[in-house]
Amino acid sequence: MTERRDGVDAAAAAPGRGPRRWSAARLPRGLHPGAWWLWALGLATAASHTTNPLLLALLVAVAALTVLRRRTDAPWALAFRMYLVLGAVIITMRVVFRIVFGGGQGEHLLVSLPEIPLPEWAAGIRLFGPVAVEQVLGGFYDGLRLATMLVCLGAANALANPKRLLKAVPGALYAVGTAVVVALSVAPQLVESVLRVRRARRLRGATGRGMRALRGIALPVLADALDRSLALAAAMDSRGYGRTAAVPAGQRAATGALVLGGLVGVCAGTYGLLDSTGSGYLGLPMLLTGLVVAVAGMLLAGRRVRRSRYRPDRWRSAELLVAGCGIAAAALTMLAGSVTPELLYPPVSPLTWPEVTPLMLLAVTAAAGPAWLAPPPPGSPSTRPPTVGTPVGAVAAPTRTGDPATSVPGGHP
Amino acid sequence: MSVLRVAPRTAVVLALASAAALATFTWPFFIPAHPESTARTGEAPLVFLVMLPVLVALVLAELSSGGIDSKALAMLGVLAAVNAALRPLGAGTAGIETVFFLLVLAGRVFGPGFGFLLGSTSLFASALLTAGVGPWLPFQMLCASWVGLGAGLLPTRLRGRAEVAVLAGYGAFAAYGYGLLMNLWFWPFSLGADTQLSYVAGAPVLDNLHRFAVFTAVTSTFGWDTGRAITTAVAVLLAGPAVLAALRRAARRAAFDAPVTFAAPAPQPAPSTATPPPETPVAAPQDVPGPAVGVAPPARRWLHEAPVTAGEDGQGGGSHQAPQRPAD
Repeated sequence: MTERRDGVDAAAAAPGRGPRRWSAARLPRGLHPGAWWLWALGLATAASHTTNPLLLALLVAVAALTVLRRRTDAPWALAFRMYLVLGAVIITMRVVFRIVFGGGQGEHLLVSLPEIPLPEWAAGIRLFGPVAVEQVLGGFYDGLRLATMLVCLGAANALANPKRLLKAVPGALYAVGTAVVVALSVAPQLVESVLRVRRARRLRGATGRGMRALRGIALPVLADALDRSLALAAAMDSRGYGRTAAVPAGQRAATGALVLGGLVGVCAGTYGLLDSTGSGYLGLPMLLTGLVVAVAGMLLAGRRVRRSRYRPDRWRSAELLVAGCGIAAAALTMLAGSVTPELLYPPVSPLTWPEVTPLMLLAVTAAAGPAWLAPPPPGSPSTRPPTVGTPVGAVAAPTRTGDPATSVPGGHP
Repeated sequence: MSVLRVAPRTAVVLALASAAALATFTWPFFIPAHPESTARTGEAPLVFLVMLPVLVALVLAELSSGGIDSKALAMLGVLAAVNAALRPLGAGTAGIETVFFLLVLAGRVFGPGFGFLLGSTSLFASALLTAGVGPWLPFQMLCASWVGLGAGLLPTRLRGRAEVAVLAGYGAFAAYGYGLLMNLWFWPFSLGADTQLSYVAGAPVLDNLHRFAVFTAVTSTFGWDTGRAITTAVAVLLAGPAVLAALRRAARRAAFDAPVTFAAPAPQPAPSTATPPPETPVAAPQDVPGPAVGVAPPARRWLHEAPVTAGEDGQGGGSHQAPQRPAD
């Protein structure tokens, strides 16, 4: 069924391309990074609504499976393992902290460690003492939930191409996004700069070591980088960077009012949220309204920036499917929480064995969808022509800001 | 000198957003015990987790709303790249932190607005390069931005040894402050709700402060934070004078504060963009080797082995501006 829906879209995109048009949607390509992020945030939301270790473990497994099936060999895609390790560290930390600083509540004693009472200045805390199963298990559940959310975000990191994500920033953040793109492109060239300076030093017969050699290398590299920035600025100027649209004074004033008013609302809402005597309307509703108003102001301010996009990422049916899978997983978990809350938050005392309901399994199935529904990632850049999804800009010459990772400023309206 | 002009409206936005953002760090001290439906212990952190990235984006958009000069933007990107390349050098080695050193110096030279942007872009680029994007990233970005902002707000008159000493002291202070704020952010997440070191919702502020002080002392202050402070201060003392000279030289060459004037239409086709005319007084220091700003250099210069003119420049600057040894 999904193939048919893809086919409709492919036909709309490229009419009259032969009988097997649907296969165009299955061609290897990089998915819109926003779709991966929505999917991952959906999974993280689902994980945040449960402490059921079975469900959480399933969600981690789903994230890992999708990453394994759909990741590229870009450097950011290989860091998924780091997030798994980080998750393990968080779980361990929680459990260890519970053992060391825990209060020792619970009926089923695991082990009784010798107590070490700390002096008065340390808030009367005692270390170790009796360790109960409930206490350790509570720490494990909480830690597992946090670790699962982290692993979900790690999956988004591994799957979404950050350079293409930077293309999608709103207009108001365009300048900052360009600076980050410049940084990402220049960073690899610093290595080359270091090599060049070292070679020049060797040719001059400088054999200094230690601090002196460090200064002899670091400072020229820094000066090199600074000179490079001037060359880059000249190149950007000559390509029309900095072109802005004329914005009427009234609209500018409205933008400022929206941003300022929204921020005042955010401050008031935060105060209301943290104030025990605050009235209801000053809390979360105020905070959210303020945020929305301020963001609207920011988006309005972005209309001043005029830019054109080179090969923009389109939002096609595969993107919709992937994002929808994440949202469905979150919604199904919340639904399961309203049906059987005690199964989503298995009580630690009395000790119970966690259970999985069909609704939870459905949520996990939805979450796993993108492992098959998303188009396969493009192959390694060396074997394919540089088309969509190839990491670009990493080795581009510094005088070229108009590479595909950047939008060309000004240029063509 | 300030590369990025901070308009009054921007300053107000920055102050408001910083105030709200501070609450996303310090909420465990203030959160009430019996809140209405929303601020359950489980949900308040999530609200703040969502709120902070939006606040950071707002401030960044506001700071760049006046349009960033292309030279400032290129400088921002290049310095962020250097910072991002420096960061992995220290990570994982007992608190050695190499980010703040250049951040403080650049904030000092290029002004508070630039320092704020540099803090954010550095950590963001570094996170993208090493795939460290996570919920902690906006908090790190904001803290680093505050560090850069503060460096730009230090008294401008200081020069020479006094300047380096003040910057080193500020670097150490900022390193401790950064560690403290990041600990504060991580405190509720690392401990959960019911250990003796966790925050207690509704308890007096001093009581929670006491617990936090013990937590941060136990976990990081004497190891990581001290290591970070020492690294930053020593790096500023040793390399500060030379790096400051290099940055100031670049700022002079770029002629950020040269007024942009459009000449009357000349017979030959005029340049289309707002590059400052080469004869502006600030744009012509003695040590500009080649043509002034606005002239594109040979594009292939960085791709091939080239004579190391830049290297010699830097070395020359380094040798006649030899950094003073620290007093001890």
